[in-house]
Amino acid sequence: MIEKVALHALKASDWHLEGAFDVFYSQPQIKAFTDSRHLEELYSRYKDQYVDMIMADGISVLCNDLQVDPQDIVMLVVSWHMKAATMCEFSKQEFIGGLQALGIDSLEKFRERIQFMRTELKDEQKFREIYNFAFGWAKEKGQKSLALDTAIGMWQLLFAEKQWALVDHWCQFLQARHNKAISRDTWSQLLEFAKTVDPSLSNYDAEGAWPYLIDEFVEYLNENNIIQKGQPIDWSQKR
Amino acid sequence: MVLHKFGEKLYSGLVSTMTHHLEVISKSIEAAQGGLFLEELNRKWADHNKALQMIRDILMYMDRTFIPSTHKTPVHELGLNLWRDNIIHSAKIQTRLQDTLLDLVLRERTGEVINRGLMRNVIKMLMDLGSSVYQDDFEKHFLEVSADFYRAESQQFIECCDCGEYLKKAERRLNEEMERVSHYLDAKSEAKITSVVEKEMVESHMQRLVHMENSGLINMLVDDKYEDLGRMYSLFRRVPNGLFIIRDVMTSHIRSTGKQLVTDPERLKDPVDFVQRLLDEKDKNDKIINLAFNNDKTFQNALNSSFEYFINLNSRSPEFISLFVDDKLRKGLKGVSEEDVEVVLDKVMMLFRYLQEKDVFEKYYKQHLAKRLLSGKTVSDDAERSLIVKLKTECGYQFTSKLEGMFTDMKTSEDTMQGFYASSFAETGDGPTLAVQVLTTGSWPTQPSATCNLPAEILGVCEKFRGYYLGTHTGRRLSWQTNMGTADLKATFGRGQKHELNVSTHQMCALMLFNNADRLSYKEIEQATEIPASDLKRCLQSMACVKGKNILRKEPMSKDIAEDDAFFVNDKFSSKFYKVKIGTVVAQRESEPENQETRQRVEEDRKPQIEAAIVRIMKSRRVLDHNNIVAEVTKQLQSRFLPSPVLIKKRIESLIEREFLERDKVDRKLYRYLA
Repeated sequence: MIEKVALHALKASDWHLEGAFDVFYSQPQIKAFTDSRHLEELYSRYKDQYVDMIMADGISVLCNDLQVDPQDIVMLVVSWHMKAATMCEFSKQEFIGGLQALGIDSLEKFRERIQFMRTELKDEQKFREIYNFAFGWAKEKGQKSLALDTAIGMWQLLFAEKQWALVDHWCQFLQARHNKAISRDTWSQLLEFAKTVDPSLSNYDAEGAWPYLIDEFVEYLNENNIIQKGQPIDWSQKR
Repeated sequence: MVLHKFGEKLYSGLVSTMTHHLEVISKSIEAAQGGLFLEELNRKWADHNKALQMIRDILMYMDRTFIPSTHKTPVHELGLNLWRDNIIHSAKIQTRLQDTLLDLVLRERTGEVINRGLMRNVIKMLMDLGSSVYQDDFEKHFLEVSADFYRAESQQFIECCDCGEYLKKAERRLNEEMERVSHYLDAKSEAKITSVVEKEMVESHMQRLVHMENSGLINMLVDDKYEDLGRMYSLFRRVPNGLFIIRDVMTSHIRSTGKQLVTDPERLKDPVDFVQRLLDEKDKNDKIINLAFNNDKTFQNALNSSFEYFINLNSRSPEFISLFVDDKLRKGLKGVSEEDVEVVLDKVMMLFRYLQEKDVFEKYYKQHLAKRLLSGKTVSDDAERSLIVKLKTECGYQFTSKLEGMFTDMKTSEDTMQGFYASSFAETGDGPTLAVQVLTTGSWPTQPSATCNLPAEILGVCEKFRGYYLGTHTGRRLSWQTNMGTADLKATFGRGQKHELNVSTHQMCALMLFNNADRLSYKEIEQATEIPASDLKRCLQSMACVKGKNILRKEPMSKDIAEDDAFFVNDKFSSKFYKVKIGTVVAQRESEPENQETRQRVEEDRKPQIEAAIVRIMKSRRVLDHNNIVAEVTKQLQSRFLPSPVLIKKRIESLIEREFLERDKVDRKLYRYLA
């Protein structure tokens, strides 16, 4: 039965593998059956000694099993699927519930799925969701804002996937001028900024209701002659 | 003849007879020499008119019956037309008539006296012949020639006259022309000839006149030349853009003068003088607009907007205006009549209205008022209250409620003191006499409370008061504001000289120590009194380093105070007055660091006000885009201060973070109120 569905998916997406994955996994009727005993086994493999949760050590083991670097951005995607509340830990519910929803009950299935998860980052809509999810996930519990260092780390990671020419300047600017935590609004608006505003700032609208920090960033770029007021910069010369 | 159907014959006979007759007359007129030409014309015209009348009477029947039915020209009119065709438009007469008339006008303009009666008659003749005759044969040329004349004359004048003289001449010419018209021209020509004069003499030279060096508009303004200015106003008013030019030049002049006044570093050293000069400048310009510019509203508006512009160039204007008021209310208005007081206060209010940062003024006014009230140094309670009422009318109840609270506290304190001394708590004996003002926190400007060890005698009587007060007002908390009080001390110096010293509370604490010690180091004084260093140093300096007030002696004699400096009572102190005032509780211009501090506090106070405005607006609108929020907030707050769009944006973001607002999911420029 799976083969039939797979063939159907491949046909639907014109025999492109990635598209086929998309079609396959978005079928609502594929509520794949997962063996809850296997899931329990998996969970206990990674669960922390003292607390009924998977903590940093457990996650290391998991990454090893998955043959994935713990710093790999795909782990963020995994966390997103699991609706994990905080980075570096999974509650039992999050882990087991998440895997169930994904229809994964073995490491092999998990490893296979990892590849697909990487492609999800290429999807505009999903990337935005993952990006916005990352804010709540990366910040300290009980804090409203995201610590600057963490934010910078996340941005470096995220914008390595979805190219943004100004990411390094943005991070430098923050460290030089801002030195405070990042608000949720600034976080989410930055993505919009990166998506809609040209790196030469030619279509930057000062009346565009951008967060103040972003306005300041534009000023910073102009002041330091990184952008010559709307003229495209020759990246081959810089750096 | 008409009855017998010979109307046609009669009529044509009339025409030919008259024509022939006129031809003869024309010759005689042509023959007239020089000046007699017009006279002859005039005489013949008079004759003709008389004749016409008679003919019309005789031929009345024809006029009434034959002529209308045959649509022929009536007799009288016929007579006029024939005159026109045969005399006025005759080749030899037409041009000569024109030239003669115009020549006479020219001569009159150059100062000759001409025969106005004759002119009037001849012109009237032309008018009677038909307005087109008047216009084509005379007026048109008259206007052309006049234009040339005035063009040349104005060019000549402008080279040799200064602005005032030129304007006089222009006015004179204008009046002449109007007079000319009334004497011998058609009234309808007045508007036309005046507009020629206006154009040639005024409009063509407006810029040059206004900007004329040493005599132009700006010089007139500076020298208060009301007459010249009035003349300029009434002349320029007649031409398009005339007043605009005056207003424009005047406005930039006022703005640059004002800007100079307000940014001159010398001026800034004396706030009272600074404000007085502003008032003088306003008075001067008001007078000009009143006396010379007909109280023209557009000029008033230009004046107001200029003042608003430059007063706000200096961020210390609010503070200075408050200091000016303080000076007036403390001494300046002493002995001044009630009406004159009102005049001064109204002028102050006028300056107040120009301020963009009214909240800064409020902060300073409160501080200065507090000092005045607490030191009892106000010239007139009525004047104080009158100003508060004016501020309330201008800015609303909120602005003045705290100020009024301060007055209430003073009154209440009086009553409290009476109660205290009547009560059992106040066994006076020979302890110090206490006068307490109880200040409601919130109404009075906040001062950071300082530590201070009061001398035992003072403490004692203070505690008695506390006991009395809390007895009647349970649930309240009293804290002594030692940095705001004063004390009167009776002192006896080395050679027996006695003086009553008026000092601040802190100074009193330091001085009382000398009842038990002859020599004290700075450090010892600091330890004993626990007064903060900067305060203590200042108060010691004012007692040891100021000529005429040096009740203490310091070793070494330097102005600065070091830890080990020693202080002694100055036995050689002398003053011609028994009562000596040492304390400095008078309102003063803030030092730079103090100014920065106040400004910071004002900025902090503005944040919640902006947020409150945003929330108010969003609550009622529910959804609104960014630019509109900024505009609305600015409008709501403009009676207090001008919030910058950047500040408003930051407050919006803060409200988003605290989940009062959110951005719309689709349109990122739209905000939504979260209930």
